[in-house]
Amino acid sequence: MPTVKIFANLRKIAGTKELSAAGTTVGDVLNGLREQNPLLVEAILEDGTIRPHFVITINGHNALDLNTPVTEQDVIAIFPPIAGGS
Amino acid sequence: MAGWSEKVLEIDLSTQTYKTYPLDMDMARLYIGGRGLGARLLWDLVGPGVDPLSPENVLIFTNGPLTGTGYQTSNRFSVTTKSPLTGTILDANSGGFWGMQFRKTGYDVMIVRGKSDKPVWIEIKNAAITFHDASDLWGMRVFALTEKLGQNNNKRNVLCIGPAGENLSRIAAIMNDRERALARGGPGAVMGSKNLKAIVVEGKDRPEIVDKDQFKFLLYEARKSLAQSPLTSQALPEFGTVVLMNIMNNVGALATRNHQQTQFEGAEAISGEELTDNYLVRNASCWACPIGCTRISRTEKVEGEGPEFESTWAFGAQCGIADLPAIIEANALCNDLGLDTISVGSTIACAMELSEKNFMDSELRFGRADQLAPTIEAIATRSDIGADLADGSLRLATKYGHPELSMSSKGLEMPAYDPRGMQGQGLLYATSNRGGCHMRGNMVGPEVLGAPKLIDRFQVQGKSSFVILHQNTAAAIDSLVLCKFTNYGVAEEYFARVLSAVTGIKYSTGDMIKVGERVWNLERLYNLREGFTNKDDTLPPRLLNEAPTDGPSKGWVVQLEPMLKEYYRGRGWDENGIPTKKKLAELDLEVLL
Ligand code: SF4
Repeated sequence: MPTVKIFANLRKIAGTKELSAAGTTVGDVLNGLREQNPLLVEAILEDGTIRPHFVITINGHNALDLNTPVTEQDVIAIFPPIAGGS
Repeated sequence: MAGWSEKVLEIDLSTQTYKTYPLDMDMARLYIGGRGLGARLLWDLVGPGVDPLSPENVLIFTNGPLTGTGYQTSNRFSVTTKSPLTGTILDANSGGFWGMQFRKTGYDVMIVRGKSDKPVWIEIKNAAITFHDASDLWGMRVFALTEKLGQNNNKRNVLCIGPAGENLSRIAAIMNDRERALARGGPGAVMGSKNLKAIVVEGKDRPEIVDKDQFKFLLYEARKSLAQSPLTSQALPEFGTVVLMNIMNNVGALATRNHQQTQFEGAEAISGEELTDNYLVRNASCWACPIGCTRISRTEKVEGEGPEFESTWAFGAQCGIADLPAIIEANALCNDLGLDTISVGSTIACAMELSEKNFMDSELRFGRADQLAPTIEAIATRSDIGADLADGSLRLATKYGHPELSMSSKGLEMPAYDPRGMQGQGLLYATSNRGGCHMRGNMVGPEVLGAPKLIDRFQVQGKSSFVILHQNTAAAIDSLVLCKFTNYGVAEEYFARVLSAVTGIKYSTGDMIKVGERVWNLERLYNLREGFTNKDDTLPPRLLNEAPTDGPSKGWVVQLEPMLKEYYRGRGWDENGIPTKKKLAELDLEVLL
């Protein structure tokens, strides 16, 4: 199953740093997480799309939308809005 | 005219005299304040051949028309000088309270020239200037000195140097309000070379505002935007800038062990999340700032401001150290001694690599948290190994025969973002007028954070136009002088509108960007006059030739050459990076040549 790493205030919402769920796209995996942690998925998605300023990467490469494919070994990282370094 | 106080204070330390005269208002309209006005004045005051540590160099402190008005983040000020680290034009700006108080003394600009024959500190109370003997203060550290001279956030504010500036370390900062820093490029050494220990300001003037109703409306609108943006209302206050650690590591753009790797296995242990969970005491903020990104953190040994992301990285990933308390303490020590954390951390990392490769005979090794504090103390006093490190990584690495191991551009140590994973950042570092710096148009927003919009960080073609726009915008904000973090929540058009409301002069967003472009080109002209050429628009060979062997940036080096070509064209410069006559005329700069 793909691993999902979460950061910043998402950790407070989920009560953990790492989860996993089955799926072959980012959207599938997030749907899989919905049962375990509905509040987390609600924090990430709005009307079925990724909320503004969220960054999602797969093995460090940006996933531009929920249809991006993932494999069993992939690590999905989800960052809520982050700023700094200006 | 409202907007500016229209007064320049010029202090000659050699004679301990001063004079005041009207600000050239044509110049003020073109360059606004802060970095822009400072650059324009330095152009006239310090020519080529001047040693930055000689009495002929000057320190130019500037505020802007918005400073002290109460507009969000109108707390900042700049210092402009010729850098003793790089030999380039240098401006550094800082937040806190001092800038607002300086404005209240009734001056837009303070020029400090000459050299006192003995240590001195200056007190500016409203418009009155007093020179005080500082012999008994020489050697004092920043925190104790700031308290002794009567720091009182909203009433009386202290700017000073610590032992590092006195000992002419070329990576010494000027500190204000205890823990804020005019950090980069060694302005603390310039102040030390003048035997000037501190400048204390106390003022009563209220900046005038032409269109008060419009100003109030814009203040309200900006507050609303900052409160609505998740970046300025949640991200910055909740986790501070250190929250960048995990994301930069995740995307493989976190410089590690003197840029030998692009990911650090200890990133999580030094992350914003870890800092917030275990060391954060509370948030703090600069004057008139609703964002409040500042952290007050505590370990068993220290409590104080910071550390910011760059400082945490410099002592952390760059030195291969995953010990957050040691990093917090190293940051506090640099503040107390008056040192630039980025340059110090990266210079220590350079020494660690030189030592591990047996190019230098020292005990310094990557990962040794216990070596941070003693090395920093040694740098500030130029004792033992510190004598080698006090002038930055390029001089150190050159002395030991390996200048290529200095992770700097034009001699200024680069910050945390490894440009092999962010091509635009590489172009930014190579072309930055004060050397390798992220505050001159950071590409982390578009290349990593998706602010305002995500672009491909590995894209090369077309990248220069983003970099140019970011550089010009940064120069405009630095000339206002506001905190760049407001730009995460407030659109650029507000800057022009609020400037128009305060000054009564109509500025459009295009005018503001043009101010930024004018300032950028003037800084370029300054460096060209100093003898810099397009050969200096470069990066350490490691970043151009050695690709990371794993992680998301695997296989990538900075594709600098094609980006530079495109950049020169986009800037309206010739193929050697020299601004064309046409460009200079367009920017009202041809009169300078
Ligand atoms: S955002 Fe942070 S650095 Fe900027 S003015 Fe506010 S507290 Fe100061």
